[in-house]
Amino acid sequence: MILFEDVSKVYPEDYIALNQVNFHLKQGEMAFLTGHSGSGKSTLLRLISLMERPTTGRIILDGNDLSHIKGNDIPYLRRHIGMIFQEHRLLMNRTVLDNVGLPLLIEGYSRYEIKRRSLAALDKVGLSGKEESFPIHLSGGEQQRVGIARAIINQPPLLLADEPTGNLDPKLSLEILDLFKSLNEYGMSVLIATHDLGLIAKMRYRTLTIKEGEMINDGLLRQRND
Amino acid sequence: MIKKNTNKILSGSARIKKVSFLGRLSTTIQQHTEQFFSSFMELWKTPFSTLMTILVLGLALSLPSIFQVAYKNIERVNGQWDSASEVSLFLDKGLSQQRVQVLINKLGLYEDIETVTYITSHQALEEFKAMSGFSKALDYLSENPLPGVLVVVPTEKAKNSAGSKLLVAKLQREADIDFVKVDSDWIEKLQAILSLVVDMVFAVAVLLLMAVLLIVSNTIRLNILNQRAEIEVLKLVGATNSFIQRPFLYIGAWYGLLGGGIALLLTFSMVQWLQSGVANLVGLYQSQFNILMLNLEEAIILVGLSTFLGFIAAYISVKQYLVKIEPK
Repeated sequence: MILFEDVSKVYPEDYIALNQVNFHLKQGEMAFLTGHSGSGKSTLLRLISLMERPTTGRIILDGNDLSHIKGNDIPYLRRHIGMIFQEHRLLMNRTVLDNVGLPLLIEGYSRYEIKRRSLAALDKVGLSGKEESFPIHLSGGEQQRVGIARAIINQPPLLLADEPTGNLDPKLSLEILDLFKSLNEYGMSVLIATHDLGLIAKMRYRTLTIKEGEMINDGLLRQRND
Repeated sequence: MIKKNTNKILSGSARIKKVSFLGRLSTTIQQHTEQFFSSFMELWKTPFSTLMTILVLGLALSLPSIFQVAYKNIERVNGQWDSASEVSLFLDKGLSQQRVQVLINKLGLYEDIETVTYITSHQALEEFKAMSGFSKALDYLSENPLPGVLVVVPTEKAKNSAGSKLLVAKLQREADIDFVKVDSDWIEKLQAILSLVVDMVFAVAVLLLMAVLLIVSNTIRLNILNQRAEIEVLKLVGATNSFIQRPFLYIGAWYGLLGGGIALLLTFSMVQWLQSGVANLVGLYQSQFNILMLNLEEAIILVGLSTFLGFIAAYISVKQYLVKIEPK
């Protein structure tokens, strides 16, 4: 699903965010990406979602070399990656239903189909009945779940989550992770960037550890398929 | 190309089925319709600034529009003054009716004369009585002091400066004609002034239309910058630039359309306001004149042009700013 080959990212003033990173996330695999703040976790996710380009090395996403993707093709690639952010990144002036249905609206689905699938996605994340609410009226956990519903509505093969439980209490964090687990069981590849080691320990999935831009540990702890 | 490799990317998922071409087309039309109207509603989320922008656009567009109305009406007046290019031939006093007829017949043979109309001295006096208001005073005159007049209308070819001068020279050589009067000089001067005014109006109109372009472009730029966060989210979930820019283009077109409408309204109001004043003024010369408003075609051109300018201005802004916004 994702293959990193000697990937480095150097920002201006020679700031090395990632240095010669190598890893392979298989199709249907779920993994954590951990490390301290500023270690390069977010940069790695940003490279996969084409918000950044690597300085050197190759990133292969399902057979496509992201280093050679043209600018015009980026939107089409992003439609196949579900992205979840710590700060949710919802459109506050649109209802929950509109937020969730956004990826389908962009892809040109009919109003009926968008509504039907959005309601189903909201049901999956436990937000039935909140479709007409505005995100501002929801709690942090609910907003995060709206973000997840939006990320999974078009059933992308890959789900990227950047500190998805950063602003949530432990109980809600576990609920969110259970949701990821169930999505992974449906065949979605999931990569979760988090620095919450306690949470990682509870889930027992493969853990990629980054420190100062270098992959220092690729711990195949207890994979679900093992 | 990602678009072509869709199946490859999808290989790992139970992704929902692709939308058919017809389904996509129908949804695109539906989206355009929705965005067309929702962009109009978007304008009124900030009613004061929208109203100000539209009024400024309306004012800027109304000036060329009013200039057009003014030009059109001056042209019309100029057209009415075509009769002034007639040549009046004041005949010798006491010229017999037979001599007059001979002269008329002779003039009728001129190639550069269209028509010849004879106004007898008696008709001239009656006309003068009616127009001057001195009818009673003129009754006291022992004899008619006015001569007979032949009104000569030159052919179209002879109406130009050189042609009319040649004709006048020929007429002055004719016997039985006391005085030849032609008013073409001041018409030529007026036409030259009009031509200069048209050039100036055109230059001003171009400048004002450029101002419209800049106003709309700047307004759209601010809109884009205000919605930066929303644009970033849309890009993150896979929206193309064309999808994101569409509402902004519609907003630009709406600005132009509404500005054009205001300009039309202002022009119409201005004409209505001036109408009575002009009527009073012209009435003093015992004449009638109604100011012509823009016709339907001109009104459509004004509104269409302003809408197009709004669209183009938005397009410039979108290309300049929107494409540069990338998610962070």
